[in-house]
Amino acid sequence: MPINLLHRHVLEDHISGFETNANPNHLSVIRRPVIFSVLAHAGYEAAVAEALRKADDIASRYCNPSEFLAVSQTAGAGSVAEFLTAIPGASFVDQSDGFVLMAISGPSVRSILSKCLAVDLHPDTFGEGHSAAMMCCHVAANVARTGPNAFELLVPRSFAGSVFDELMEAGRAHALTRGFAD
Amino acid sequence: MASLITCPHCGTRPKEEFSIRGAAAPKRPSPAAKDEVWHRYVYIRDNPKGRILEYWHHVAGCRRWLVVDRDNFTHEVFGVMDASDFERARVVE
Ligand SMILES: [Zn+2]
Repeated sequence: MPINLLHRHVLEDHISGFETNANPNHLSVIRRPVIFSVLAHAGYEAAVAEALRKADDIASRYCNPSEFLAVSQTAGAGSVAEFLTAIPGASFVDQSDGFVLMAISGPSVRSILSKCLAVDLHPDTFGEGHSAAMMCCHVAANVARTGPNAFELLVPRSFAGSVFDELMEAGRAHALTRGFAD
Repeated sequence: MASLITCPHCGTRPKEEFSIRGAAAPKRPSPAAKDEVWHRYVYIRDNPKGRILEYWHHVAGCRRWLVVDRDNFTHEVFGVMDASDFERARVVE
């Protein structure tokens, strides 16, 4: 008997039902991003960081001096792997199924996130393009600033539901809406 | 305040992101060291009140081992460094 494997997003059940138009404060879940974990070998840390930073359709997320997450919403897993293979002193592994990518933006985004994070997100200390691993809703997440009022969160797949629910709760006072990106 | 630790890789973070292992000052003896030396390393520890060096693991952040130089009485933090830098500096000494 053939088995048909269907891709079903882990937050599908959290985002089912009545859908309104996006409010200014909106949380969008990216359905199928490509996420690779990249480790730099000793002595290659700066070179690997620089190569990732220069990549065209890959966003580099900082974890620690020798570890990064390469995230792409446009490129396929194959071409990202090909790009990473060409970087000397880098080891990588596909983590696309292990993480959930959420983008949150809007005028109240910092007030919403301040209920979930214990890190100062003022642009002077956490500017555009900055990313770091931190505790978000009691889960070890990676947070990146992608705009003056826009952030991207990477959370482990098995905790995504809990983080998502807590973010929506934090955003209720600010009329935060949610939906899949497509 | 020791409730805020400035990680050299991540910036200022709440202590909830860390897990503390213990004193960083005692030096691990060589595997061939005498039983008395190992006994002293494992069981005979100081319990200082004041400035201490401790291993802290940044579990929810960079996941690196750090060495925090702090006062366990006043909670003042004097410095935080990566454990690999700490080890390297210790070998040179
Ligand atoms: Zn850290």
